Amino acid sequence: MISTFHGLETMRRALSTQQAALYTTGHNIANANTPGYSRQRVNFTQTEAFPNPAFNKPGIPGQLGTGVKAGEIQRIRDSFLDLQFRGENAKLGYWSTKYAALERMEDVMNELDNGNAKVINQFWQALEDVSANPEDAGARAVLQQRGVAVAEAFNHTYESIETIQRDYRDQIGVENSRVNSVLNQINEINKQIASVEVHGLLPNDLYDKRDLLVDELSQFMNIEVERVPSGGNAKEMAEGRYTIHLLDNNGQRLNDIVLLDGSTFEYNEISVTDADGGQLDGPVTEILIGGTAIAFEDFNSNGSLKAMIEAYGYMEGGEVKGIYNEMMQNLDTMISVFVEEFNNVHSSGWSLSEIEAGEKANGGAGYNFFEFADPHGGGVQGSAKYLKVSEAILSSTDNIAAAREVLDENGDPTAYAGDGSNALNLANVKGTQLNYGGQTASLDSFYQGVIGRMAVGVSEASNMTNNFQSLANSINERRQAVSSVSLDEELANMIQFQHAYNAAARNMTAVDEMLDTIINGMGRVGR
Amino acid sequence: MRVTQSMISTSTLRHLNTSMSQLKMYQDQLSTGKKITRPSQDPVVAMNGMRYRTQLVEVQQFKRNLGEAYNWMDSADSALNDTTSALQRIRELTVQASNDTYEEGQRGNIAEEVRQLKEHLESLANTKSNNKYIFNGTNTTNKPVDLENDTFSTNTHDVELELLKGVKVPVNVSPQNVFSQQMFNDIQQLENMLMNEDTTAEELSAMLDTVDGHINNAINERAALGARVNRVEMMDQRLQDQKVLATRIMSDNEDADLAEVITQLLTQENVHRAALSSSSRIIQPSLLDFLR
Repeated sequence: MISTFHGLETMRRALSTQQAALYTTGHNIANANTPGYSRQRVNFTQTEAFPNPAFNKPGIPGQLGTGVKAGEIQRIRDSFLDLQFRGENAKLGYWSTKYAALERMEDVMNELDNGNAKVINQFWQALEDVSANPEDAGARAVLQQRGVAVAEAFNHTYESIETIQRDYRDQIGVENSRVNSVLNQINEINKQIASVEVHGLLPNDLYDKRDLLVDELSQFMNIEVERVPSGGNAKEMAEGRYTIHLLDNNGQRLNDIVLLDGSTFEYNEISVTDADGGQLDGPVTEILIGGTAIAFEDFNSNGSLKAMIEAYGYMEGGEVKGIYNEMMQNLDTMISVFVEEFNNVHSSGWSLSEIEAGEKANGGAGYNFFEFADPHGGGVQGSAKYLKVSEAILSSTDNIAAAREVLDENGDPTAYAGDGSNALNLANVKGTQLNYGGQTASLDSFYQGVIGRMAVGVSEASNMTNNFQSLANSINERRQAVSSVSLDEELANMIQFQHAYNAAARNMTAVDEMLDTIINGMGRVGR
Repeated sequence: MRVTQSMISTSTLRHLNTSMSQLKMYQDQLSTGKKITRPSQDPVVAMNGMRYRTQLVEVQQFKRNLGEAYNWMDSADSALNDTTSALQRIRELTVQASNDTYEEGQRGNIAEEVRQLKEHLESLANTKSNNKYIFNGTNTTNKPVDLENDTFSTNTHDVELELLKGVKVPVNVSPQNVFSQQMFNDIQQLENMLMNEDTTAEELSAMLDTVDGHINNAINERAALGARVNRVEMMDQRLQDQKVLATRIMSDNEDADLAEVITQLLTQENVHRAALSSSSRIIQPSLLDFLR
């Protein structure tokens, strides 16, 4: 037998279900602009029909519907797109960080109009002027100052790069603690999700928060997410806890390292260290993840962390590598080879003061034009940083050796003030083919090569950044197509649910009137 | 595909940003006149630019050295001209004096004039240009000729200037060829002969050959100098051409084609305006605007 109040109960369910749908619509509209939010949907399901097919079923014509219920509230998201996005995001993180690092170096070494090449050219011009007017104190003074300008230009370039390198060292520290903080937050959300899911609920907003954090983590390094069911009374569509693995560039798990373990609620802190451990001040040697140390050469996981360390400097096969270190090495090689040859030519010539004295200074060794300030050890390293014009030249321009040694009528070595041929030889050192760190080139062409390689590197990084940016954008767009809130759609839904709600209320009124007839109008025949 | 408001605003923003950076690039090109403002925009242009600028600087420097060479040669030329005149005057005086009718007082006057001319020649030998002694080889800070102390230039080294890449040209006149000790000795001897009343006209006539020899030396040296000036002038011409060429190559390499850039800028500006106005229409309305 059907209950008297069947209609009322059916409509009550309809009212509360439509209401839940309306509230969810409201939630969607409210979060239309929340980053990482996925739209939610109430899954409507019919409640069980009456009667149950059993022997004691009432003799009514058929099964009568009992209305609707809100099955569950589900977020709309495609986890396959998440997977794709995170893979591209790691590459984007790598290239965009690398691009930023190279771009800062390009700022320092923007050789388009003003730059070290121009200073070298001016120095060369001053040498030519001295060769034309070797006895002129004015030309010599210009040469001295142009020499100072060359030294200062290279000191400045070198120190600017060092400053950027130091900034990157601090940046690595910041990045490092951001990774750890993100891991910590994911871990906390994992715990909350686990405690909600076991009660058969779906913590959609926590899922969104966690996925947003995983997206953030994916820009630092390549990762893989594995789901661990929460157990208990968890629903089938519950997402469970996340276990996060570290991946290498090829998408394989790197040394089976687990960044965050969802089953034990533990995460491994990351720390970037150099050879002596402690505060980072030397090139990076290894990365500690939890208790495991990975040598940086083996840490081939794309992402901004790797790019940042590559910019800052690291050890590979016992050698110091890195974008900035390599540029500084180039400058050092260039300066040390050039200065050695320049000083050789300079000290072989005769200066005005030596002509005056009739013999070469320093027991015949002559003067050096350039020297290196302390604490330069005499090797190649730091040559560009500590380059300076020698004290002898700074103290008197008469010590500039513009003249070549010739023999006088008695066969003794001498030189003449009007001879500028050694200055000309000095000017030609710039174009002399020398061995710059295993590469035979002139100063000009070596430096052009250095700048050219840098420019190609920046341009490559810029292209790669753009490529991965547009890939990530298009994947993100597809993700948005699935998950983001459309206000039109929500408004349409709102109207739909509102009408259904109104109709249910009207239906309830109809049932009410029907009951009124039964309760108040029946059995009063004739009264 | 499902499209939502947030997708439209994100992509609109992204495209507007791309458009803005294009506008910025054209603006940079217009305001600097260069194709690129960073080496990475075109590494080849940047590298070639460095090379071409160096080349241009070299050409400019050689032009400057050329000015210096002209300075040397022009000074030497005018000094040699004066030298030739002085020697010719000595010859005239010798011819006059070899006339036997000249009496002792008149010869004395001639001797005095020859002495003056000798000193004039000394000062010509000690010509300074740009504060250098130009007839003393590379020993430009010392006098080549000092009659009082009887010292003469011994420096045989040429002053050379680089006037083209790797081409060195001697710009001085060797002192031994013109202002030789022999010349001053011969003039001294002539003066002595004039002072001596026993000197016969024949003996004086015999000196003419000697004087002629020195005149020829000066003229020959001047001719050689003239030939070198010609060579330098040809180099000057060549440097002019090289400068034009180097400037043009540099400009072709890195200067922006303004007409093209302006056209592109205008096109881009139109695109940008269209994007802005369409965005303003698309982003605003939603279903909300049309309900009730």
